[in-house]
Amino acid sequence: MKAKKTALTQGFIRCHDCGCLSKQAGKNRLCPLCGGRLHPRVPNSFQRTAALLLSAFCLYIPANIFPIMTITSLGVGEPHTIIGGIMALINGNMVPIALLVLVASILVPLLKLLGISLLLLNVHYRWQGRAKKWTILYRIIAFVGRWSMLDIFMISILVSLVDMGDVAQVIAGPAATAFAAVVVLTMFAAKNFDPRLLWDNQR
Amino acid sequence: MTQTHFTACPECDLLLNPGAPVVGDKAHCPRCGYLLQRPRKQSIERTFALSIAGLILIFPANLMPLVGLKMLGNTKDGTLWSGVVALFEEQLWGVAILVFLSSIIFPLLNIILSLLISAHLYFNKPNHYLAHWMRWLQHLDEWAMLEVYMLGIIVACVKLSATSELKFGFGLYAFVALLIVTGMLTSSLDKVLFWRKIGQLRK
Repeated sequence: MKAKKTALTQGFIRCHDCGCLSKQAGKNRLCPLCGGRLHPRVPNSFQRTAALLLSAFCLYIPANIFPIMTITSLGVGEPHTIIGGIMALINGNMVPIALLVLVASILVPLLKLLGISLLLLNVHYRWQGRAKKWTILYRIIAFVGRWSMLDIFMISILVSLVDMGDVAQVIAGPAATAFAAVVVLTMFAAKNFDPRLLWDNQR
Repeated sequence: MTQTHFTACPECDLLLNPGAPVVGDKAHCPRCGYLLQRPRKQSIERTFALSIAGLILIFPANLMPLVGLKMLGNTKDGTLWSGVVALFEEQLWGVAILVFLSSIIFPLLNIILSLLISAHLYFNKPNHYLAHWMRWLQHLDEWAMLEVYMLGIIVACVKLSATSELKFGFGLYAFVALLIVTGMLTSSLDKVLFWRKIGQLRK
């Protein structure tokens, strides 16, 4: 394949916010259209993404081993982890909803953590070829990111509705904070990853 | 500092001759397939109208009860706000703030910013802050998670329906309507057109 001309090799910088393309010299370049700061690539994209990803990996462990909520009925508390909650749904013959929660709170975070790791490895080791497929992987990761918040919103609704003292109560557990942090950190990681790095390495 | 008539793909940095897609067309990047522009019919007018509709709907959706839970003769109503308060009372400040921002503040800001920008463009009024508003709007977009919240409501209701009686409030209907309006708002807003208009108003 013949190498195509990119904006960077021709000395142009695309404004990250408004998309205006301009040619400028010197440091502290500002966009002529919207006045935003110009960077040829997201600054320190690799390092920022890697740092956020590493924090997300660390928090993923407490998010899965600690209880995400405790359901108390008639004074007897029953802590649920994320997987425990899915098992309870399957036992209660609510398989479609169990699948939905499985996808949103187990598969999507795993896909994001592993997918962003692969993208970083790709950039670091300059893997050749199939840049378009990798870009599509990046798009999927950026798109599905927010749907993992499902579990957090569900807990917020359950906690506020089921509040009958000793009779029945739902209490959110420590894993909720860790899980929410995983979702936010991976969203920021995806936002800081610059897909143009995948194309810059192609020869 | 020179501006150019070229454009560049935001995801692979390929230097492109700008096309002039008309309504119904989709402009894709020839190298990575990124959707560059998708012109919408009467983008500014529709964004203006839909953001007014959204601003009206956001009040009942926030203030009226979404779902009520009947238990032992008591009815407990849940609103967007009561979920935040319940999480706060259980000392999960981080999660409470995250839910507050992504389900109440960001959707509201999103609608207000769309309204401000489209109103200025519709009446051809230049404003120094237009570029700032547009930039905030683009960054806030993915953090307003009403559709994910809706899924959370559904999962929570299915979980509760096995053991208790649920009552759907008027707020839920307003919430669903708001969801549809914000979805249409996002798809009617043509960013390329909006930035071009903002640039023209500056001159």
